[in-house]
Amino acid sequence: MSESVVVIGGGPAGIEAARGVADLGLPSILIEQRERLGGTPIFANYAALTPYFEDAEQAMDAMIAELNARPLAEVRTNTTVTGLSGEAGAFTVELSTGESLEAGAVIVATGFDHFDPGRERQIYNYYQYPDVLTLQDLEAQLKAHEVLVPSTGKPPERICWVQCVGSRDRNIGNEWCSKVCCGIASKQAIEVREMVPGCRAYIFYIDMRMYGYWETQLYWPAQEKHHVQYIKGIITEVLERGDRLVVRGEDTTMGRPLEVPMDMVILSVGMEPSAGTKSMAGVLGIEPNRYGFIEAAKPPLDTVSTSRTGVFACGAALGPADLEDTISSAGAAAGKAVALVRRGTLQTV
Amino acid sequence: MSATAHPTPVHSDSAAYKLGTTYPDVPYAEKERLFGEMKADERFADYLYGCYECGICVAACPSARYYDFSPRRIAQAAAREDVELIYQQMQEDIWDCSQCFSCLRCPRGNNPGGIITVMREVAVNNGLDSARQALRGYTRIIYKIMSTGTQVSPDMLQADAFPDWGPSVAKVSEKLDLWRRALPPDTHHTTTTGWEISTKTLVELYLIWHKTGALAMIEELDPSLHSLLEEVMEDLLDEEGYELD
Repeated sequence: MSESVVVIGGGPAGIEAARGVADLGLPSILIEQRERLGGTPIFANYAALTPYFEDAEQAMDAMIAELNARPLAEVRTNTTVTGLSGEAGAFTVELSTGESLEAGAVIVATGFDHFDPGRERQIYNYYQYPDVLTLQDLEAQLKAHEVLVPSTGKPPERICWVQCVGSRDRNIGNEWCSKVCCGIASKQAIEVREMVPGCRAYIFYIDMRMYGYWETQLYWPAQEKHHVQYIKGIITEVLERGDRLVVRGEDTTMGRPLEVPMDMVILSVGMEPSAGTKSMAGVLGIEPNRYGFIEAAKPPLDTVSTSRTGVFACGAALGPADLEDTISSAGAAAGKAVALVRRGTLQTV
Repeated sequence: MSATAHPTPVHSDSAAYKLGTTYPDVPYAEKERLFGEMKADERFADYLYGCYECGICVAACPSARYYDFSPRRIAQAAAREDVELIYQQMQEDIWDCSQCFSCLRCPRGNNPGGIITVMREVAVNNGLDSARQALRGYTRIIYKIMSTGTQVSPDMLQADAFPDWGPSVAKVSEKLDLWRRALPPDTHHTTTTGWEISTKTLVELYLIWHKTGALAMIEELDPSLHSLLEEVMEDLLDEEGYELD
């Protein structure tokens, strides 16, 4: 029997889960394949977090420092999990280092990847036009506090976001809504309007999904204070005309086709199961859903148990999630993992 | 981003002119200037927040049932600062609104009818063709109110004037003066005005219209009506000892 909980993935969900387990009094071992903790907010160069605009690096550093301050929490970087045997309460976790760990429970927090717009039917010419970017490309610019048109090196006069790139699309197989892109595009539009006040900002969308307080944290201020233009109608293609991009679509609520010049086009790419999430399903012997995310086995009132007793999942490994939901589910996974280990221990007495 | 082509200019007095079908195009800078006047109106910020295009204003709008008119498009065009479309709306759409303000049920707190109020004032103050055309039918009423202080007068009851008022009108019109004198208040013993208006009142009203810019508006829209009024009022102003600047 083991009291340890192994947490796989060192992004926000994994850090929170490992911290939660330690706070509840059991040892946690956090396994991260990269050389450092922080996950996507760090490695995809996030600038400000949605919807509160905190500095991503500072926020993640603070989280990591808190984890490191807990004696019960141990971190292994440059390490992946290669196998799992045994059962709840007495797992053996194989590592890429050749080592194996005893664990009472396992938490999967392997997250998501951004959709690669080159995988699509190339209607947006992401790899062809330097001024067509993704959300995370623009995050890197925002992090450097300088928004510039890549081909000219000048600030943009017109910028637009194209929503639902790689989401809600039967043709490419990603039928889900990625939940956060509406908010992130709006957050970025606000930031661009503040950094480049003369720049006009447009968001082309199918539906704006600004659930809960995002309505008044992001959507209304973007429209009312920052004059970001929301146009219902998705861009069908991005073209080059002279030295400028042209986007073509329909202004559906005005009932007219549109073709307008843009200096920069930002593709609001959605979430896909990360390579780690996809491989962990096989390695750990847990059921993925039809899209490759980990399937929550007992929804809606248990959001973190998987098909294998003693293995839990949290964050965007379970499907698209914003940071707040990610942190909440990490806490839930930590609680359930600790409860299971404790019950297992009690049963053996 | 308007996709609508503007019709060729036609003089507003031409017989071919019909409201909503044709109007003169103007340079983009002029359209921007007109929108600038809208935005500068102190009410504008309270009338327009942002639009998520829910359509509740159109659903509530009586005019939208009869015309190709949408209060949503008014709010959207203003929010998008689409000066081409705004100019088009100033020349067409805004006169389809009945100013009933059913659109005030907007969940975002917008007031499309109020935006139209502002747009109409800009259209009138700038003598836009649509404003001239829309207000043409009111020339007689404006003249009557401004020169007499009342709008409806008993002498409008004439045998052949309003057939839909029924057969009694002819009878009443024969002895109008007598009928009026049968009314208890002395001030109603009039036939050419609704009630008795003193020269002092008339002059005060005129001064208010002068000071508030209403007369300037009329001068812009209908110069001949304006000079007629000036002529009529000249002696009265003299009598009361006023001289307009």
